[in-house]
Amino acid sequence: MAEVQYKDASRIYPGTDEPAVNKLNIDIPDGELLVLVGPSGSGKSTALRMLAGLETVNQGAVYIGGTDVTLKPPQDRDIAMVFQNYALYPSMTVGENMGFALKQAKVPKDERAKRVQEAARILDLEEYLDRKPKNLSGGQRQRVAMGRAIVRQPQVFLMDEPLSNLDAKLRVQTRTELSDLQARLGVTTVYVTHDQVEAMTMGDRVAVLNFGVLQQVDAPKTLYSKPANKFVAGFIGSPAMNLFDAESIDGRPAIGGVAAPISDSVAGQLGRVDGAAIGVRPEHLKLASSGIQGEVTVIEELGSESFVHVAIQHMGERTTIVVRDEGETETTRGQNVHVDFDGPIHVFDADGERVD
Amino acid sequence: MSAVTVDQLNDGGRQSAEDQARAAELKRLERRDGWRRRIPILPALIYTILVTQIPFLFTLFYSLTDWRIDTPDPRQFIWFENYGSLSGDTFFLDSAWVSVQMTVMAVLGSLIVGTGLAILLDRKFFGQGFVRTLLITPFLVMPVVAGLMWKLQMFNSTFGIIGWVMNQLGLEPVEFATRFPLASVVVVLIWQWSPFMMLIVLAGLQGQDQSVLEAARVDGATSWGTFRQITLPQLRPFLELGTLLGAIYLIQVYDHIEVIVGGQPGARNLPFYIAGRSIGGGNRFGLSSAYSIVVVLASIIIANIGLRVLSNLLEDDS
Ligand SMILES: Nc1ncnc2c1ncn2[C@@H]1O[C@H](COP(=O)(O)OP(=O)(O)O)[C@@H](O)[C@H]1O
Ligand SMILES: [Mg+2]
Repeated sequence: MAEVQYKDASRIYPGTDEPAVNKLNIDIPDGELLVLVGPSGSGKSTALRMLAGLETVNQGAVYIGGTDVTLKPPQDRDIAMVFQNYALYPSMTVGENMGFALKQAKVPKDERAKRVQEAARILDLEEYLDRKPKNLSGGQRQRVAMGRAIVRQPQVFLMDEPLSNLDAKLRVQTRTELSDLQARLGVTTVYVTHDQVEAMTMGDRVAVLNFGVLQQVDAPKTLYSKPANKFVAGFIGSPAMNLFDAESIDGRPAIGGVAAPISDSVAGQLGRVDGAAIGVRPEHLKLASSGIQGEVTVIEELGSESFVHVAIQHMGERTTIVVRDEGETETTRGQNVHVDFDGPIHVFDADGERVD
Repeated sequence: MSAVTVDQLNDGGRQSAEDQARAAELKRLERRDGWRRRIPILPALIYTILVTQIPFLFTLFYSLTDWRIDTPDPRQFIWFENYGSLSGDTFFLDSAWVSVQMTVMAVLGSLIVGTGLAILLDRKFFGQGFVRTLLITPFLVMPVVAGLMWKLQMFNSTFGIIGWVMNQLGLEPVEFATRFPLASVVVVLIWQWSPFMMLIVLAGLQGQDQSVLEAARVDGATSWGTFRQITLPQLRPFLELGTLLGAIYLIQVYDHIEVIVGGQPGARNLPFYIAGRSIGGGNRFGLSSAYSIVVVLASIIIANIGLRVLSNLLEDDS
């Protein structure tokens, strides 16, 4: 077990100008589950593969357990990786798949069998040890891939979207099993996903990437309550935060002709409202008797809560703002309503950075 | 379905008669459908039967006769006498043995060389396509031309490259094709068939899942370990296919032998022997036909094994 560090690590693929990962800096303490999240093509897999040694680090360095492993081949890094398509060895049985790494490390046969058996028990795979991967279901294959990793008792687990090939229900179930298993084993884990819900539910901390640049790395709660910039604000949370270019009313940022109730210190720090943005989560808005005027266009009833889409006039254009309403809402489509602020408001300056 | 069962219970006789009529009608429709699919391929089928099976039937018939050009009664029917004489014909047995050695060595040799070339080609480098085309050319050379090239430019003790190299090394040049007839033919066959094996193995290599190879690296396998434990098992069906197709073709090799070593006993395989006994001057058409039938049967057995290999290969893909 070990801590992991990226230090100004960059990867520029041959034949491209833009780095796929640009000066990445993350410190991952021992035993943490860090989730790398970001849209497709943001460099998550590349960052993970740099740590695995499958991708050259062009600038900077990566450390595992305090040792600089930048130039070491994958087999010398003591890591185990779970691939998106599982990458099981097709000609080997489940047992041989799980024991492969131990065999390469010349672990004696009975010790090997014992550890494979143990991992198979944890993952409920005992009855499949003699099957070939092609005779397994998707969920079973996923577990074999996990088993192959945990049998090794490595310093670090690396997982590249390990759940994305499972159906929705199994994915949610496996998600909790996986983070539980990780916590029990206490092995430092870097977990890649494009699904922000998965990131938020699994990660001790979450690192958000966009265009190869780290946007923010924080605990899920902080990421949600204090997004460092406009990108993180829009990416994290479902349904997404309401984000608008701010209009200016008496020098204060406003939405739909109603000034947002922000503190004087935030307003002071922001200065010019031009180019600034303002964000409010749906649960920090309410339907009220006064406030931003609009018309209900869509109602998403989820039982315990509902999301009301309200068309409003903002800076001379018709846009939609989403409001969370408790339980069963009494509003109806087409109704004229007022939307009022009811909680924290996020303000971003002209560069998209958070103003606090 | 259940509705029908209930009706049958209520009114068994009439229903089952109706059912029978329905079943018959279904069968008729199915049959008509079958023919509609078969008719378009019928001309091709008839053509194939005409050009492949009729000569075969003639050969089969000749093999039961004592047909030779110099006898007064050319088509005396002698049943299986020709086949009976097979086991006593030491020349036949000798050439069968040569055939076995030649086929096994040439197939294995070209498979090994082809796999080596495929591994070298299975990576990205500048001019990859050009190099691949260059490597394939031996396979495109006509067998007779290949034989002549090797005989005159490589093996020839006076003008050949091998002789020249030996001369440079201070060795006495030897007439390769005369001293080692079987080895000479095998070398040319390997040269000509390696590209074919290379293409088959390359298809297997490029069909590999890259992440599986990466997983093996992360799991601590060496390059050789990865090749032996991961790649080779996955290549197996491709190697089997190459072996099969190569064997079917190489059993029938004639041109190379004719050009490079002529009738030297050390490199006289079955086709060469059979040709010699018939059109080559022996004029024992009946006997040669019997020999050919034996070769055909041997090839069919090999081809059947091969087809099974092929279908396994396709099954694995789905
Ligand atoms: N082998 C490669 N060669 C060139 N560019 C690549 C290669 N692999 C990935 N990229 C590029 O690098 C960027 C990041 O890719 P990747 O790390 O796979 O993103 P993610 O996993 O976040 O979807 C993308 O723009 C992608 O097109
Ligand atoms: Mg990816």
